[in-house]
Amino acid sequence: MIRLVRELYQYRGLLISLVQRELKARYRGSFLGFLWTFLNPTLHMLVYVLLFTVVMRQNIPNFPFFMFVGLLPWIWFSTSVGGGASAISDRRDLLTKVRFPAQVLPTSVVVTNLCNFVLSLPLMLVLGMAYGQWPTWHVVLFPVVVLIQLTFTLALTYILAAINVTFRDLQHIVSNLLTLWFFATPVLYPLSTIQDEGARSLMLALNPMVSLMTSYQAIFYEHRLPDAEPLMALAAVSVVLLWAASSIFESRREEFAESI
Amino acid sequence: MPESMDAIILKDVVKSFRKRTIRGEYTTFKSELLRWLRGKRQSRDASLITALRGINLTIPKGKTVGIIGRNGSGKSTLLKLITGIYTPTSGDLQINGRISALLDLGAGFHPDFSGRENILINGIILGMTRAEVRARMDEIIAFSELGEFIDEPVRTYSSGMYMRLAFAVATHVDPDILIIDEILAVGDEHFSKKSLAKMMDFKRQGKTIVLVTHELGTVERWCDLAAWIDGGYVRRVGKPSEVTAEYREAISLAEAQSAAFTPPALTEGGGALPQVPSEALPAEGPVRIQRVQLLDARGESLEVLSPEEGLEVRAEFSVEGPCEDVDFHVRLQAADGRTLYETSTRREAVVLSRMPNPGVLRFVVERLGALGGDYSLVVSARASKGESSGRCAFRVVSATEEEGVFRPPHRWLVEPGANSQAGVSFEPGTSPRVEVG
Repeated sequence: MIRLVRELYQYRGLLISLVQRELKARYRGSFLGFLWTFLNPTLHMLVYVLLFTVVMRQNIPNFPFFMFVGLLPWIWFSTSVGGGASAISDRRDLLTKVRFPAQVLPTSVVVTNLCNFVLSLPLMLVLGMAYGQWPTWHVVLFPVVVLIQLTFTLALTYILAAINVTFRDLQHIVSNLLTLWFFATPVLYPLSTIQDEGARSLMLALNPMVSLMTSYQAIFYEHRLPDAEPLMALAAVSVVLLWAASSIFESRREEFAESI
Repeated sequence: MPESMDAIILKDVVKSFRKRTIRGEYTTFKSELLRWLRGKRQSRDASLITALRGINLTIPKGKTVGIIGRNGSGKSTLLKLITGIYTPTSGDLQINGRISALLDLGAGFHPDFSGRENILINGIILGMTRAEVRARMDEIIAFSELGEFIDEPVRTYSSGMYMRLAFAVATHVDPDILIIDEILAVGDEHFSKKSLAKMMDFKRQGKTIVLVTHELGTVERWCDLAAWIDGGYVRRVGKPSEVTAEYREAISLAEAQSAAFTPPALTEGGGALPQVPSEALPAEGPVRIQRVQLLDARGESLEVLSPEEGLEVRAEFSVEGPCEDVDFHVRLQAADGRTLYETSTRREAVVLSRMPNPGVLRFVVERLGALGGDYSLVVSARASKGESSGRCAFRVVSATEEEGVFRPPHRWLVEPGANSQAGVSFEPGTSPRVEVG
């Protein structure tokens, strides 16, 4: 794992330019250009707002803001995992022609989406202020939650990217599982809607995204400190997962150039 | 010699691929399920393909080395091993110096980005730092000769412009060892000259260049050493002209024997080209060719001549046994291995009585009449008990750009018609004269 991170640092120039390239390329040629960073999640949110305030009534105050708080980190997570799965297998042009550590590719996907996430944060804050929910001092914990999510997302993306090189079904399986995962995560609803205590703790134990989402909601929506226990547990799990991911990655990296 | 004198050292390097990776079959649910249903997986060895079977090659620092060999003989695999994209299955690989590989031009180019933006990304991908690329930006743009197009998106470029930009970036990386795969022929005449000049620059700076190419002329002209990869081994390393000559001969021999040109890695035994007889049978013939030399009219050895010059092939031989049935052949070959002319003492009913030992065979050509290009001459002594041959390569340089295979003795005349009064005979200085040999 240390080697993996050290190489990432060595090749940070490449990582940065790949991220820049992706960020610039994403909206290049579109009329609204960079505005799409804000427009995409907004439109996404409007769809759900329509669904949950008009069609299925929810009794959550400031529902659009509540949803937005969870939706943005979820988009970061799901686009990273979905795109990261094929990060290596799609870049045959680079991997077979130039020598560089392969982890740069999935990392650049995750970091690109992190940038998009961070760039769309002001939109969330403005929406909160519109509802009279000003950020409180609790936001100091926000970077910690982001760091935990980053570790978890990186680990998952490395594993998926490494396996997808030889097992191409994975990228399709992943994109479908992500939809399921989305509804199993309290983004559109607060965790408290689940009445059964047992089911709730089961969800919390099985789905790492639950404690992340509730933490974001705690910080921005409920203005309290996130529950430390599940968050710390997830942090530990993420580090172990990242360690496992890097050893899987290490053991397979020699195959990458030959297999894709 | 201390080890640091060598840029690249390969010792018994073997590279195998699993078959599915060569055939491009990926593991999928279906294939995995089928394999599981059919019973356990086949043994691993059966599905291995060995591209390189044991490469021993040392590339000294500061040399330009050309790697030749037919398609699928493992040249590119070798380059990828040297570059570090592949890791050897077994064997030792030692690299001394910063390496830069131009295996592909324009790696990471994005069509929607301008030339300038792509220079930055491509440069970083090729191993430069951001600051280095910035510092060389103007130089690269100037080299690419794209002018104001540099700020247009790359997708609007013609393929020539694209390659020029890519090549410009690639050559401005500053490595100790430069690995090039088949990309010297970029752009138009003018630009390829410039590219070659750039290569020469690298050479002068004492950089090591490893070059894979099918253009044997390039190898002969630019390389200090040539390595011929065949059937997963290094078949021959040595002086470019000698290695390419033997390579050409092996190719023409394979064609003559109509050997199937399947990808060597997929063939049993590595699919090496047939051995050139001169290599395989020299000890068996009663008459052994020791040395073949080309001499000009004054008796001095020559390598370059003009189409109108004559030459003398001088083959020294020794006699090792009874040789009543010996038959001397002389064959003139073009660069691609085609036989242009072949004759023999028997065909011309030359009586060979009382062979001297050692002896010299002289084949005198009064006027060659070949066009500009590279040729080789093979002299062989064939007998029922075996054959021995020797060869030498030479080049014909012609000031005239003719086409075809040979230059018949000719002259130009413009004569007055029936009603005209005056006539002029044209004999421009560049045109050949009319002496029939």
